[in-house]
Amino acid sequence: MIRDITLGQYYPEYSRIHKLDPRLKIIVTLVYIVSLFLIEDFAGYAIALVSMGAVIALSKVPLRFMLRGLKPIILIIVFTFTLNMLMTKGTILWEWGFFRITKEGLYNAIFMAARLIFLIVGSSVLTLTTKPIKLTDGIESLLKPFRRFGLPAHELAMMMTIALRFIPTLLEETDKIMKAQQARGADFETGGLLRRAKALVPLLVPLFVGAFRIAQDLAMAMEARCYRGGEGRTKLNMLKFRRRDALAIGFTALYLSGIVAERILL
Amino acid sequence: MSIRVEHLTHIYNKGLAYETKAVDDVGFTVEDGEFIGIIGHTGSGKSTLIQHLNGILKPESGRIFVGDVEITAKNIKMNQIRKRVGLVFQYPEYQLFEATVRSDVAFGPGNLGLPEDEIEDRVREALRLVGLDFSTYADRSPFELSGGQKRRVAIAGVIAMRPEVLILDEPTAGLDPKAHGDILRMVRSVRDRTSGIVILVSHNMSDVAEMADRVFVMDRGRLVRAAAPAEVFAEADFLRSIGLDVPPATRMANTLMGEGFAPDRTILTLGEMADFLAGRLGGRA
Ligand SMILES: Nc1ncnc2c1ncn2[C@@H]1O[C@H](COP(=O)(O)OP(=O)(O)OP(=O)(O)O)[C@@H](O)[C@H]1O
Ligand SMILES: [Mg+2]
Repeated sequence: MIRDITLGQYYPEYSRIHKLDPRLKIIVTLVYIVSLFLIEDFAGYAIALVSMGAVIALSKVPLRFMLRGLKPIILIIVFTFTLNMLMTKGTILWEWGFFRITKEGLYNAIFMAARLIFLIVGSSVLTLTTKPIKLTDGIESLLKPFRRFGLPAHELAMMMTIALRFIPTLLEETDKIMKAQQARGADFETGGLLRRAKALVPLLVPLFVGAFRIAQDLAMAMEARCYRGGEGRTKLNMLKFRRRDALAIGFTALYLSGIVAERILL
Repeated sequence: MSIRVEHLTHIYNKGLAYETKAVDDVGFTVEDGEFIGIIGHTGSGKSTLIQHLNGILKPESGRIFVGDVEITAKNIKMNQIRKRVGLVFQYPEYQLFEATVRSDVAFGPGNLGLPEDEIEDRVREALRLVGLDFSTYADRSPFELSGGQKRRVAIAGVIAMRPEVLILDEPTAGLDPKAHGDILRMVRSVRDRTSGIVILVSHNMSDVAEMADRVFVMDRGRLVRAAAPAEVFAEADFLRSIGLDVPPATRMANTLMGEGFAPDRTILTLGEMADFLAGRLGGRA
């Protein structure tokens, strides 16, 4: 059912990767994404593949979950693959009517598809191994320097935390209301577009009413506990930089030099 | 009509690290006209179990027959099942959505494709059964009613479908004593009118003891007892061991028994307790 949808999909586990400082994980993920655009040939991808494989193995998250992130974008991958394959000029490998596949096209297609897959799986590692709360903590901490320019770092992070926190609640609520209306004979699954849109009214009205109720309750509960924004607020779980984080920086530096060296030398 | 459940198992989040076996190999038969009470600690799988009985949830394994229709079979017409088995969810007041009470109650019958005048009749009857005056409430917005009134409207929305089996999931949770009594009276009057099956999930042992023909006891997904109230509530220690208890009158009878006043049968209700005491004190029983 609807609960199967995983957003901010965290996979609970106690691995070295899970325990890393979230700030570091965000930065490393950004570095990794940039590095993918530095890669020019498959030898570079081999380095990226081995490094990512090592991280995935260390994270103890089943590969199945890592690859699940690809599902929603499979169409995009297939689309870019086909486009690249058919649209690139060069040595012709195969021809039928005005479809022609060139050697360069095939190379490009595989190259771009690989980049997309690496991008998605790479960022999945971040979201799968970091609790949403830690993620926003990390983002808040990284955005802090920009407070000087008027960026409300704490408020942004708090909004993200609340939104993430309430996604499962709202999904649960949706599931419940959907079932209750189905029990009254509502049909969400058949009929044309118009019929289906109309069938959503019995779902959406109670859902919105519920969302406002939840928001109001939460605001009240926060005020009752004297929440008044970020100024001078301390944290229960301080982010701390540890030895394993230093190690991770080392490995990232090694990886990045590998990619750069490969690009320059080969 | 009867309900037969065979080896029903339901697993939430199957295959994930946090999968839960919410219903575990449950089987039972409910005969026509029976009133069943289901009790069990929080999270024992009561809600999950009853949501299978009108096809809202699909089981992992097992079969369910309503009358002679197997509702777990493939290609079954769900609306046919939902017409016969009405399910009132926990906190049903959150499912209201229409602009008026009248149209909200009419939603279910409307989905059954009934003619307008028939729907109108049913809405009137359902509101009367739940104790809401038609002329006062029909054109009010359900969102401006009190919690207890909202709950009645929501229950009316299911009753208006005239199901042969009525299932209620903790219909009195969070209500004041008067609303509590009203809802139970309403359940009784619906049952008297339809003489169909009623299944009541409740955390209130007295209600179940008083109203049910048989009590089903759930514990961690398993159906551990299915017997007459007198039999189930005779096992006070067992019930306490799975986080339940006996009705207050029964608890009092058990205490009296410890003091040497042995009632000759299991006492379940305050009425029975009063009779017993009156007899012992030499009054008229
Ligand atoms: N939609 C769901 N997704 C995942 N797990 C669920 C879901 N609904 C219930 N569960 C789990 O299944 C088990 C049984 O839940 P269920 O709601 O059937 O219990 P219950 O007996 O109705 O409890 P209560 O008395 O609190 O209403 C619980 O462990 C619960 O956490
Ligand atoms: Mg329940």
